[in-house]
Amino acid sequence: MLRAGCQLLTQSALPAGKTGGNSFALEFVRWRRKPRWLPVAKSKMFRVPERKKQTEEERTELMRLHNQYKTQLRSVRQFLREENVRIDETSTVDHIVLTPEQEEAEFQKCIEANAAWNAAIARERDQRLAKEREEKVAYVQERLEARQVREEERREQANQRVLLEIERSKTYITRENLDAAIETALANPVDHNYAIDLAGNLYQGRSTTQLPDASPEPNQQVASN
Amino acid sequence: MAQKVIKYIGRTTDFRGNTLWELVSELPNWGVGRLLIRNMFQRYPEPCYMRILKVQSVDEQPGEIRKVRVTVEKTWRGVTQPKPVEIYSTSYKADYELVPQEQEAKYLENKKKLEPVVLPTKIDLPPLLRELVSEETGNPNPQMKVHYKLTHNKLARLAKDGEKPTINFELGLGQPKPVSAKLYEGIL
Repeated sequence: MLRAGCQLLTQSALPAGKTGGNSFALEFVRWRRKPRWLPVAKSKMFRVPERKKQTEEERTELMRLHNQYKTQLRSVRQFLREENVRIDETSTVDHIVLTPEQEEAEFQKCIEANAAWNAAIARERDQRLAKEREEKVAYVQERLEARQVREEERREQANQRVLLEIERSKTYITRENLDAAIETALANPVDHNYAIDLAGNLYQGRSTTQLPDASPEPNQQVASN
Repeated sequence: MAQKVIKYIGRTTDFRGNTLWELVSELPNWGVGRLLIRNMFQRYPEPCYMRILKVQSVDEQPGEIRKVRVTVEKTWRGVTQPKPVEIYSTSYKADYELVPQEQEAKYLENKKKLEPVVLPTKIDLPPLLRELVSEETGNPNPQMKVHYKLTHNKLARLAKDGEKPTINFELGLGQPKPVSAKLYEGIL
């Protein structure tokens, strides 16, 4: 787009008839030449640039002109630099000059303003701190109460467990009633074996003799069939 | 077979000689006390040479020509510098040459010496700035100080009180030197 714009500019703004060819017209080289990051062209790779010799008189004269110009320019820059420093030091344009009394008064005024600000901020801070303290106290109180409730619940639960154990201890087998418990156990053998038929009926006992009748009465239905 | 002809290709150089490390590394005691020249400076009629005072070798860097740190007493255009000079950053240039001891007299007996340039202390302001300053200050011909920075090897100095400067920084083209007067024939 820019390239098109450039050509348009050269063509329309500088017609060939008026300027006498392209020798005077603007030349935009930016979009024509090789980008800087590409390597040297193959055709230019082994080109050896000619080193032009200056004659003695030309060299001497150019050196003299160069020295003269550079010295003059450095001197002008030094002059302007010193002028700037001088103006900065002596000028009163950018600031107002005060007498010592006025300066002192100004300083006192600044100090008072500062103190007022400090006082206002201190008030705000005290209020804030008091509020924060109250909030903290309330929070701690709440937590303490919650803890008390929690403790009580825990105690209650422990109590109930103790009562339950006391209740259960009546049926414990102890040294005294050990013989009786053994006798009872021997007298009532328990057979945990059982069989299940396809319908899910449960038949208790290993050596059971009960047979499935025409309409058997199942002892128990397996719930999780 | 015909005589071998060496044909150089590529860019030419004005340097002639060896790098400093090539010279110094071959010599007994690193060539301390020997006379060195830079061929580039032999264009001046005044003698330019250096006397080696101390040599410190420097490790070779990959991909670079080997450098060396050499302290020399430097004489440039007949003026010997009061302090020794260290050559390091330019030691890679293949432009150094060792002077054979029997030829040292050739350089030492050359008593030509460059005269120091005396600069004026004050010069005129440029035209527009002069107008501005003279309008502000009322001084019809204001002048500014010449910029001058003292360095260890500068041969120019500012003129003292009542001394006549050897160089003139008048505004405009100035007076060309006799060598190049021919360039201005029919113009000035």
